[in-house]
Amino acid sequence: MKKFRDVAIVGVGLHPWGVFPDRSMPEMAVEAISEALADAKMEWREIQSMVAGTYLWVSQREGMFGILSGTAISAAMGGIGIPITSCANACATGGAIFREAYLAVASGLYDTAIAVAADRSAGGFFRPQSQDPQFDLDYIRYVMTGETNPAYWAMECQRRMHDLGTTEDDLAMVKVITSKIAPLNPKTRYKKAFTKQQVLESPMVCAPLHLMEICATSDGAGAIIVCAADKAKKYTKKPVLVEAAVIGSPTFGDHTIPLTYLSAYPRPGVGILTESRNAIAAAYKMSGRKPEDIDVIELPDNSSWHYFAYLDCMLQAKDGEAEKLLRSGKVDPIDGELPVCPSGGLGACGEAVVAQGLFQIYELVKQLRGEAGERQVKNNPKVALAQTYGYAGNNAACILSKAW
Amino acid sequence: MTAKKQVPIIEGLFTWPSDKPQLIASRCKKCGTVTFPKAAFCANPSCEKVRENVEQIKLSNKGKLWTWTVQQYAPPAPFRKEPLPFQPYAIGMVDTEEGLRVLGILTSNDNLKIGMTLEMTTGKLYEDAEKEYITWMWKPV
Ligand SMILES: [Zn+2]
Repeated sequence: MKKFRDVAIVGVGLHPWGVFPDRSMPEMAVEAISEALADAKMEWREIQSMVAGTYLWVSQREGMFGILSGTAISAAMGGIGIPITSCANACATGGAIFREAYLAVASGLYDTAIAVAADRSAGGFFRPQSQDPQFDLDYIRYVMTGETNPAYWAMECQRRMHDLGTTEDDLAMVKVITSKIAPLNPKTRYKKAFTKQQVLESPMVCAPLHLMEICATSDGAGAIIVCAADKAKKYTKKPVLVEAAVIGSPTFGDHTIPLTYLSAYPRPGVGILTESRNAIAAAYKMSGRKPEDIDVIELPDNSSWHYFAYLDCMLQAKDGEAEKLLRSGKVDPIDGELPVCPSGGLGACGEAVVAQGLFQIYELVKQLRGEAGERQVKNNPKVALAQTYGYAGNNAACILSKAW
Repeated sequence: MTAKKQVPIIEGLFTWPSDKPQLIASRCKKCGTVTFPKAAFCANPSCEKVRENVEQIKLSNKGKLWTWTVQQYAPPAPFRKEPLPFQPYAIGMVDTEEGLRVLGILTSNDNLKIGMTLEMTTGKLYEDAEKEYITWMWKPV
C-alpha cells in the first residue's frame, strides 16, 4: 500500500442525537459544521473539499435533500465553489465519507476537507423504498419473508448462542454496561442506565433479543474536519492523526446472508461478517498497529449480538472472546483496561444511520484529547479504533492516535 | 364456498401452480455456483460473466435449519400477513441440499431447533376478495 502524506483531524462537531421533527437535515448539518469549524478555529471558506452522507430513506422524508445532501448542506452554509460528493454506504456511510475526506487530503489534492452527514431516521423499523418486484432484492426479501433488521440480528444471535454458548445474561449485561454512560453524554438521545432485570423484563422483539437489547433509530448530524498533518498546528494544539481510514465489502462465500439478500452460498475457509473482517484487517495493515495497541474502541452495538460479534472481529480474537472480556470488566466503558463505547454506544444514542460513523469519530477525538468530561476513560488513551457496518455488506473502520 | 385462487405475491421465485413447489434458482454451468433468486451472471468472482453460462434450476425442497427467530411485532407495510390482529411468526435461514442458505418464513413457532430437517411448502400471507397471496415457507418435518 502506497503511503500518502499524513492527515490529522483538527475539528469535530455534533448535533445532538434525538428526535427533531422541526429541523431539516441541512439545518442539523449546519449546526454540526459550525461546531466543528469553531473547534478548529477555522472559517467555512478555508474548507477546500467536502463529502456528505446520503440519507437512505429518501422517498419517506425530505426528498432531494436526501439524495443531494452534499449540495443541500453547502447551500445552507453558503456556496463557496468547492468540490462536493454525496455518498451512500448504508450505516457505514459516516466512516466511508471520513475516508473520502482523508483521501482528498492524503493524496495532496487539498489541504483541508470536511466529512458531514445528517440523518432523520427516528421513525422505527426500516422498510424497502421501491416497489420493484423484479430487480429490487430488498423489496422482494421483505415482501416474501417480512424479515426486519432486528429479525436478522436475532437469527445471527441465536446462532452465536448455539455455537459459542452466549447466554441471555450476557446479552442483557451489554445494555447494563454500555448504558452506565448514557446519563453522562450530552449528545446522546437516551439518558437512562438500566439494570439486568429491566433489560430482561423489556418486551421480546425477536427472540432472543429484547427491546432493551436493540438500538432505536434517531435523528442527528456530525462533521469532521481534516487537514494536512504538517499544517494542523495552525488550527489546534491537539491534532489527532488518522493512521487508517478504510472501508470493506464482503467476500464471496461468506457464511451469512447479508440483509437485503435472500440467500448465501457459504464456502469453506470464508468466515462470517467478512465485510467487517476485511475492513479491520486493512485498518491494522495500513496503520501498522495490532489489536493490543488499541486503547479505546467505539463499535456499533445495534444489538447485544453486535457488541459481541464486532468486538471479536475488531480485536481479531477467537469467536466467543468478547463475552469473556465483558464478564471480566476489562471493557468497562470508563474504568476498563480497554474501554468500549465510552459514548454510550448506539444503545444510548439511537442510530442516525448515515451520521453514526461520525458520532464514533467525534467521541474518540474527545477521548484522545482528554475532553470527554464525566465520561472520560481512565486509561490515558493514545490509540483509538472505530468501526461501523452497514446494510447489504458495507463496513468502515478507522484508527486514530494522538499527534502531539 | 369455493376456495380462492392462490397466487404468489411475486411471480417467478418458486414453481406455481404445483403439487410440490420448488424454489427457482440459477446455476453456473462452468463452476456450479447456485444463486437464489436466479441471477443473470455467475456470482463467483473467479468465473466468467456470460449470461449463457447460467441456467435455471429448481432447488430440492429439503433443508436443515441453520438459525431462526420469532418476529413478535408486525413489520410495517409493504409486508402484509394475516390473520389480524398480528400473530408472532418464525423466520429461519435454511441450508438446502445444494449448499445454499435460504431465508424464509417457518410454518411453526414451536419446538424449533438448529439442525432440524425442514421441507419447502407454501403458505398464505393474506387474501382479498378474489385471491389468496402466498409465499414459500419452511415446514418442520
Ligand atoms: Zn461460475
